[in-house]
Amino acid sequence: MAAFASAPGAVRGRAAVVAVGNTLQGELPGMSADEIGVEALRVTLQQSGIQKSQIDGLITCKSYGGFGIDTEIGRLAGLNPAYSATLDYGTCNFSLHLAVAAIEAGLASVIAIVYGTNQRSAGNRFTLPLGRQDDASVYGFLNVAGVAGMAFQRHKKLYGTTEADLGEIAVSQRKYAIDNELAIFRKPLSIDDYLAEPYLIEPLRRADICMISDGGACLIVASADKAAELTGTPVHVMGIAQQTGLRDRQNADQWMRPWIEQVAERIYPAAGIDRADVQALYIQDPTSVWVMQMLEWYGFAPFGGVGDAFRSGAVGFGGKLPLNTNGGQLSEAYMWGFLHLVEMIRQLRGEAGARQLEPFRVAQYCSTYGMLKAASTIFSLDRS
Amino acid sequence: MSAETARAEVSTQTPYLPTEDDTRFWQSAAEGHLLFQKCDQCSYIRWPAAGVCPECLSRASTWLEVDGVGTLWSNVTYRRAYAASLKEQVPYPVGLVELDCGVRLLTRLVDLPHEGAEVGMALTVDYREVGDHGVVPVFGPAKTVLPAVPLV
Repeated sequence: MAAFASAPGAVRGRAAVVAVGNTLQGELPGMSADEIGVEALRVTLQQSGIQKSQIDGLITCKSYGGFGIDTEIGRLAGLNPAYSATLDYGTCNFSLHLAVAAIEAGLASVIAIVYGTNQRSAGNRFTLPLGRQDDASVYGFLNVAGVAGMAFQRHKKLYGTTEADLGEIAVSQRKYAIDNELAIFRKPLSIDDYLAEPYLIEPLRRADICMISDGGACLIVASADKAAELTGTPVHVMGIAQQTGLRDRQNADQWMRPWIEQVAERIYPAAGIDRADVQALYIQDPTSVWVMQMLEWYGFAPFGGVGDAFRSGAVGFGGKLPLNTNGGQLSEAYMWGFLHLVEMIRQLRGEAGARQLEPFRVAQYCSTYGMLKAASTIFSLDRS
Repeated sequence: MSAETARAEVSTQTPYLPTEDDTRFWQSAAEGHLLFQKCDQCSYIRWPAAGVCPECLSRASTWLEVDGVGTLWSNVTYRRAYAASLKEQVPYPVGLVELDCGVRLLTRLVDLPHEGAEVGMALTVDYREVGDHGVVPVFGPAKTVLPAVPLV
């Protein structure tokens, strides 16, 4: 253990998640994006018993339409924290890692991470080009599924992956969502149902793409000392890792997102565990293709072997390694990955209701920021 | 910010308004030439167009005509119109072409055989009207063409 203590990203429980909360998801007309974020904070404080006055850090992330700025959220929530910041791209892992870094540096000791969006009510049709305006406008290259579809089409050619293989991801996640009252999609989905869906952006279908929703989520992250004061069941952050591919398509095979592999190489030494020690897995999923890629880059399935990994019971619903037990963004709601962590914390604490898994102690969360960044965190109920 | 303002951020404006950096690319393409910036210092050919070389950070560059040949990295077919301006165009194929000069260019695919595009297929540039954008570069199955005369 000591040999790993100085590994990059080795947090080893010096920070922990002490509370999580969420608003309803779907359509929340009549509330601004920032009000939805503050509502998530209110619910989280109320359910955890943590006082607003105990919060000395605030981290927000910019939401659709330019909302979610720390100065606005802080004013609305009546906070004067010692430290605050906003990330232009939240996607949960990045916000969490910033909170951990701020705690490690001593800038704050109890940090609320707040996210809220009204993008469904505000009319986001998910037509952002994820990159270049000319591609979107001239050639009609819109929606995250355009890039994801290209990555999958190439994957089919390189590894012989089939659409039925990819469909296993959406089908597995839907099985979890059936027991999730928060989820937008709860209708059973079989592989046959999946294959019968028309293409939206061929080779991808409706079930491969997440649904835009309104909603909010909140996490409270604390230093080890504060965590022990605030809760009897802190979920320790054991290790964190990130890697970017900011040069975009000047990089070869950018949309296969090969830089995820570098996160995979760092995250297990950071946490001081082996990949085989991970007992539940959460992967952010704007599209099913992102799940396929991360299962492969992190080594949970061989390249081209994701379909078999589900069918053999190695991963997914009812399998050895549970995956996205809330239904993920494909079935639950598009919350930039925040609800994956909300679900994971509840599962670790045994608070997941109808979806509660057999008790487990170690979980991993993997996410990406579009085509440009990857991050992962490993959590444990035990500090060592 | 109102919902209307938020909507305005959605990047489906048509036609595309070239930037200070890429005007030369679109203007040349409209006249049937494929040009990119080549760094005067390190010779890296860059795209997207920019005021700085991403390799050596030099600001000095010269527009260079390249051969419009390459291979298909991958492709998708849009069955749904994600913007009103695309309703008349669906279904339409989009591809990423890896040009022999090193640039990776997003494009429309044209003149595909009945069985469609195939990852790795050889492609050649053509110039066609797409939507309201006038003549822009598109790519189709490779034809035997004379190489472009280099503008050294």
